[in-house]
Formats: sequence, structure tokens, C-alpha cells
Amino acid sequence: MTNQQDIMHACPACGLLCDDISGDAIARQQFSCGKAAKFYARVSAGAAPAVGGRAASLTEAVKAAAALLKQASAPLVAGSSTDVHGARALVSLSHATGAAMTHINASSTLRNMKVLQHRGWQTTTLTEVRNRADVILMIGTDVVSHNTRFFERVVWVDEAMFTEPAARKIIYLGGDKLNTKPGVAPDGRAPEVIACASESLPEVVATLRALVMGKPVTAETVAGVAVGSLKSLADTLKTAKYATLVWVSKDLHYAHAELTIENMTETVVALNQKSRAMGLSMGGSDGDTSVNYAHTWLNGVIIDAPEWESHDAVVWVNSYSPNAMPPAGIAPVIVLGAPDSTFDTAPAVFIPVATPGLDCNGQQFRVDGSVTLPLTAAKPSDLPTLSQVVALIEAQLKGDLA
Amino acid sequence: MITLLKNAKVIDPAHHKDGVVQDIYIRDGRIIAKPADSEKIGQVHDLNGKIVMAGAIDMHSHIGGGKVNIARMLLPEYQAMRKLDEPEAHICGANCSHHATPNTTDTGMRYIEMGYTAAFEPAILAVNARQAHMEMGDTPMIDKGGYAMLGNDDYLLRLLSQNADQKTINDYVAWTLHATQTIGIKVVNPGGISAFKFNERRQDLDQQHSYYHITPRRILQALSRAVNEIGIAKPLHVHCNNLGVAGNFQTTLDTMGASDGLPMHLTHIQFHSYGTEGDKKFSSAAANIAEAINSNKHITADVGQILFGQTVTASGDNMMQHLNAKVANPKKSVIMDIECDAGCGVVPFKYRDENYVNALQWAIGLEVFLSVDDPWRVFLTTDHPNGAPFTSYPHLIRLLMDKTFRNDAFDKLNLDAQAMSNLKSLDREYSLYEIATMTRSAPAKLIGLQDRGHLGIGAAADITVYTDQADKEAMFAKPDLVFKDGELVVKEGKVVKVVWGATHTAKPSFDVGVEKDIKQYFDRYHTMQMNNFKISNDQIAEDGRNHVINHTQGS
Repeated sequence: MTNQQDIMHACPACGLLCDDISGDAIARQQFSCGKAAKFYARVSAGAAPAVGGRAASLTEAVKAAAALLKQASAPLVAGSSTDVHGARALVSLSHATGAAMTHINASSTLRNMKVLQHRGWQTTTLTEVRNRADVILMIGTDVVSHNTRFFERVVWVDEAMFTEPAARKIIYLGGDKLNTKPGVAPDGRAPEVIACASESLPEVVATLRALVMGKPVTAETVAGVAVGSLKSLADTLKTAKYATLVWVSKDLHYAHAELTIENMTETVVALNQKSRAMGLSMGGSDGDTSVNYAHTWLNGVIIDAPEWESHDAVVWVNSYSPNAMPPAGIAPVIVLGAPDSTFDTAPAVFIPVATPGLDCNGQQFRVDGSVTLPLTAAKPSDLPTLSQVVALIEAQLKGDLA
Repeated sequence: MITLLKNAKVIDPAHHKDGVVQDIYIRDGRIIAKPADSEKIGQVHDLNGKIVMAGAIDMHSHIGGGKVNIARMLLPEYQAMRKLDEPEAHICGANCSHHATPNTTDTGMRYIEMGYTAAFEPAILAVNARQAHMEMGDTPMIDKGGYAMLGNDDYLLRLLSQNADQKTINDYVAWTLHATQTIGIKVVNPGGISAFKFNERRQDLDQQHSYYHITPRRILQALSRAVNEIGIAKPLHVHCNNLGVAGNFQTTLDTMGASDGLPMHLTHIQFHSYGTEGDKKFSSAAANIAEAINSNKHITADVGQILFGQTVTASGDNMMQHLNAKVANPKKSVIMDIECDAGCGVVPFKYRDENYVNALQWAIGLEVFLSVDDPWRVFLTTDHPNGAPFTSYPHLIRLLMDKTFRNDAFDKLNLDAQAMSNLKSLDREYSLYEIATMTRSAPAKLIGLQDRGHLGIGAAADITVYTDQADKEAMFAKPDLVFKDGELVVKEGKVVKVVWGATHTAKPSFDVGVEKDIKQYFDRYHTMQMNNFKISNDQIAEDGRNHVINHTQGS
């Protein structure tokens, strides 16, 4: 029923998962996003398994991987840059080998999870923002460094059901080296920028929360920011029809940044006593939402952060980050990953697997968590999927154990 | 190969059998007539008069989807203090934070071990259906299915506010069933989830929606009629307005009239049976509700019994859960607006028998069970995990079947709550036949699973074998044998073979012309393509374990 040329691909290069990528755009390499351009320019041809840096057959590589995992007393499944199917396979492999499991973005994911698990939060999703948000406050982030097309697809759209998109108020609060140009309205109206360094956000956001809650604030400035401007920001949020507070946990890379996030989400909770507001966590990459979610429904608990030193073998999956490798010094490393992986030091075993959305189909969660999109193979290849390779390793392990 | 269950004491309400001793023959996953003497019997189980029922069907249990997965995340403090020697430890071992929120594997395992062979996720957000199916696909042992939520989605509300004709609504509803791979339609706080996004805090049945200027009653009329006219079996699944509010029984009674006599199912009705009498302005209206169910033959209901202990409630009703968050225990909650489609609210609760409201909630649920005459129209649920985890069904069954046990439990309740309940005056004890009706025959009939929930020739061989015991909790907690599609999968309450079950759907025919307008809506307002909203059979079957069983229903 679906005509091949009509297929619109969903791009897994970031958590926005734009699903309007035509086959034609891929063929011509025409994108409005550098991340998409880089992703679809990747080449899988010529990749072959290797053991100890030397070319090997798939069977030899699977045997070598299984042997290393059998020897290990505390293996770790890490990187985990893949989709839902890959996540299922990795959970299965972790069960089969007694391995712990983590993700390349575990530390930024956990910043959010700590808030969710400690206090909960009140959040929204992209289509709600697109159709309702009249005030969008970005805290410590420009979003576009992570999700290039955020403004194009969600903010400056042609039509919205309940608000005038071109009239939206865009505010940036704090952050380092922000690109605020995408926040300029179609009619040239500049966004409001309340500047402060990321490291000052804990104090500044706590003050904003206090002001929204109607607490007395006697200081005139907080971390160099005029309290008056925060007061007027609080009023803007309170009078908005649907204020949206946006953050990217990766951009809040200082100690205990979860407390800043909690102050943002509790500001939303306070606003929702009388008016409407919601939080929106953006960013996301490497299938981090998919892997955390699938891990949660399969294992009953969220993904964990790695303790590299307590593991004696690593299964590394880097499907969306071909250049990423585990910290130096940990060995042996078994890479089940991007065919175009680049290594400074050859891993003990390398098995190239199909990248979902490029070489094979898959399913991926969008960063806002409620939407899952099918990934279609933009450039189908013969590479085995991660699930297939994991199944081979598990079969080898069973054979060994029998 | 033919399997023979010899000397089965059959309780099969669909065929009016109440303890008939007979032999059951199974071939290729189906119950067959007695084969010719020349045919070889591969496997014989002499049951010596043990009780045999069809596999049980849970018609309302939150087993998959976004809010269920958030619920799994929400109690890490329990994860840290889990003791593997506590009574509930068998439910999910170390692989969950709390036994009320089991992972997908344990969900399937615990259901089949209790003799349940199917469970239906009652609140699939259409836009989140793909996730719900992924989780259900990872749930082994049992069959699955779901009801898609409509009635707060801006597409339908726009249609209604523009006075669209019923045919257009019918086509959209049927299209949604196809797109989401579901078997029924649910409406949660009709209009209310949407109204919350416009800063409304309550939505009454006859109150106009502040933006669309239509009433919840109109939404219920349109959807109940659509479900009826497109010909699916499952009546509209209704979570009424005013969930959990003292005095909400009147809304519930009024809602019964909103479908103009067309079939409607009112879900977790315990949470909608509250009066305002007494010093605490919170009382039982179970008698009014049960009387109304008894006299309104077009109404069915499931109870949503609460049982005491810690749980995490997960609802699509973000408007009411936002209010309930004030009494969260532990004090945290997740409230979401979702995709101009729906919402969700996840709030941990600890139901305590010394708490007046909780004690009365417990009594209200049982009062409803015992006061509704017809077990074909009242269903055994705890609204898992909202009232209690599904693993407490054997305990609930004993409360229904054993008056002494029930009254002993009642005597331990908050004394003020005892004074406000007539539970002890209700002498009824459910029979095994009635339990089989409300957990097998009736849900299969309600959902339209013609070949499930009974033991007739041609039925799927989903079969549970019990040893009759005085202690009904022990009896229903641990069946002797469970067969799934003819395969022996549980022995003495333990899984002996892992199978994966199927996903049941209903896909009535409709005018595909409706898709033109839907696509235009997606292109104008959504952040995804309409084609990616639709889930194919292949995607359900993705890894070769799951498959779709579509039911042709109605005319």
C-alpha cells in the first residue's frame, strides 16, 4: 500500500525524531539540519567483523565475544546507543551474562530521573506546545544545539489550534554560548534574554520559583541578575495561557544540577495552582529515552549509571555515535556497533551491526516520551541487526555452558 | 496430538454447566468433540473431579503504556528496601521497585499462574499505542488487547463542535481502532482532560466545555452511538466525570442516561459511588449505584475494588489526578498533557484500613459487588494497579465468597467507616459459578471474544484446573494446571513453559475517505506524520513472538 517514494523517514540523529525526511532529500543530501545531514551521509559498506584488530568472520567474532563474556566475572553492557529492539536485545544479553547495563547518556538521563523519582513533575509534549504555548521559557539552553529544528517544527509554525504562533513570547534564562537567533520571531521580534552563566542557574532558578510562589525576596540581584527582571518573568509566566518551561539536562552539567531541574518543575507545579504551565525536557540522543523506557518495562527499574572500575569486560554499542568509545583503560571491549566506528585502539572484538533508521528498520521514542515512531531503513544494508548478533552470542554462550 | 482432560468438573456459565463431570479433548489449541476411538490420545490428565474453568480474562488492567511505565519508575525508595523474604516478594523479585508495578515479564507470569489467560489494557492513548503494544508484546504467557481513548482528543472535539454528522464520527472511531490495533473505545473524564488544558479544574456532565462549547453528555452520546453503529462488541468504556469526588454518585447515575439506552460500560465504578452524607461529608452511595445498574439493563460495570496497601495509581484523567496529587503518598506525582490527544496522571497512594475514606472505599466496592444481582453485568477488577495490584484477585475472590472472612476484615476497619457501611447486612456469598461468570464468560462476551471464556467445542483451549478448597484465596492463587492454547504452561502454580500469546483487535469496515481530513489535521497541527500514527500488523508481530487476532463482530 505504501509507495516506496512516499515513505517519510524519521531521523534518529536527535531526540526530536523529525519524521518528514523524504527519500529524495536523503538522495540529494538536502537537509535543514546538520545532524541529519551527518547521519544520512554515513556509509556502512565495507565494514567487517574483527578480532584483536584483525578481520574475522562473523562466526569467529561471535565465538570470541562469547568467550570473553564467559571469562568475565562482572561484565557491563554500555553505550547502548540503539533503538527499542536493540534495547530489548541488550537487556536479554545482560540477563544471560549477569551484566549490569547502562547508557552513554546515563548521567544526563539520571539528572531528570532523580527529579521524577523524588518529586515527580508536570510536563507536556511537542504537539501541545506547538498548538498551545504562548510563552516559551528556555532555561540554561538554546535547545537548537541539541534539537536543530525545534523552532522550525514546534514554535514558528504556520498554524496552531489555540494560539497565534508568530506572537509567542520566547525567553532565554541563563546558559553558556547560546544561539538565540532561532528565537527571533518571523516578524523580526527579538527574544528576551536574561543572561547568566550556567553555574549561576541554581540560585537564579530558585529565586524565580520563590517569586512565582509569592515568597518575599529582598535581594536586588541574584548572581548578577536583577530580581526585577525575574519578578517580571514570574508575572509573564503567571499570566500566560500555557507557559512552557524547557530544559536540556545535558546542558546543566554541574554538580547537583537535578536540584535546578527540580526548581524548574516545582515552579511549574506552583504555576498550575492557578494558571496553566508545563515543563518540557528536550535534547536526547543515542536512543536514550528508548533504552531507559525499555529497560524500565523489562527490568522494572530505570537505567543505572556506570561504575566502570568494577567491571572486567564491556559490551559497547555505539550505533548513533560511531566515534564514541568507553573510557580508556577498561578492557576487554566488545563493540557491537556502528559499521563506521573509528578506533584509536582496536577493541578485542568488533562486530558491525545495522544502524536502525539507516541500515534497518526499528522503533524509537521521541524525547518527550509519549510518542514512538517507526524507523525505516533509509539505505538498507545486509548487516546483521543488534538483536541478531546478540542472539548468536547468547546461543554460543548456551552451547559453551551445555 | 490430542490432549485429554479426564473427569473434569466443568464450570462453564456460557453453556450453563455448573459442576458437570465430563472429558475435554484438545487438538491444535482448540477444544474438540470426542474423537473417534481409532484416534490416538497423546496426553491424558486424569483430573479426578477437579474444578475446570476457561482461562480467566481481566477486562480492565493497566499493563502497558506510558503511564504504566512511569508508575514503574515512581517508587525507587521501595526498591532500596525490598526484602526478598516478604510475602509479596514472589511477585517480581528484585526486578521491580514495588510489587504493584511489576515489569512486563512478571506481569505475564503472575497472571498465568493465577489461571488468567488474557488481560486488556483499558486506557491506550491513541498517540501512545505503539508503546503500549511494545510493552504488551513483551508480556509473556497471556493474550492482550486494549481500548483506545477518545473524547478528549482535539480531532473529535473539533468534529463535535462543528456539528459533524454521525457517519463522520463513526468513520473516525473505526479508523482509530484500525490505527491503534485495539478492540474497544474508552472515554476518560469526557471533555475534562481537554478542559484541564484550558485551565478548567472540574468538568460536569452537562457543563459546556469552555472552548468547544459541547458537553460531556454530547461526547458520550456520539461515542456510544459510534461504537454501536460500527458494530464492535465492546460497549463504550466510560470513566465518568468527577472521579473520586464526594457526591459523584449523581454524575454516575446521570451518565447512565447519557447513551440514550445504548450499551455502556462504566469502569472502576467504586471510585464513582460516593455520597456526601455524615460528619465527614463522604459516604457510600453503593446502594443507589447498584440499584441503578440492576434496573438499567444497558449498563455494565467493573468495580475497581481497593485493597489496603501501597500502590501507584495511573490514570488518563490528569484533571482529577492533579487534584488527587495533594493526597499522594509518598508525596510525588507525574501529571502530563499529551499531544492534543489525551493526558495522564500518576500518583502513588497508600490505602490504609484505619483511614476513614480508604476504609469506606473498601466497603463501597464490596457493597457494589454484593448488591448487583447479575454477575454477567459486574466485573471483577481492582483497576490494577489503581485500587490494588491484580495479584490480589484471589484475596478479593475470597472476600466475595466467604462472608465470615469478609466480616472479620470489616471488623478491623476504621470505626467511623464501619458505622457508615451496610456491608455486614449483606449476606450474599458468590458461588464458583458466579465467579466463573464474572471472570470468564461475561468478559469474553462483553469484549466479543467468541472463542474465549468458555469450554465449548471450537473454543481456544485456554483452560484452568483448580482443586476445590474451603479457602478460596488459596484455591484461586494456585491452580493445579493451566493450558494456554492447548499447551500445558503452568503446573502446581509454576510456569513450566513460556509462550507469548496474541493481541486481540476489532477492525470494523469504514469509509477510508475519512482519512483525507485526518491527514490534513495531522499536516496542519501535529508533530508527526499520520502514517506514523498507524500501527501495522507486522509491527505488532515485529519479533515473531506476537501476532494479531482480529475479531469480526456485529453485522
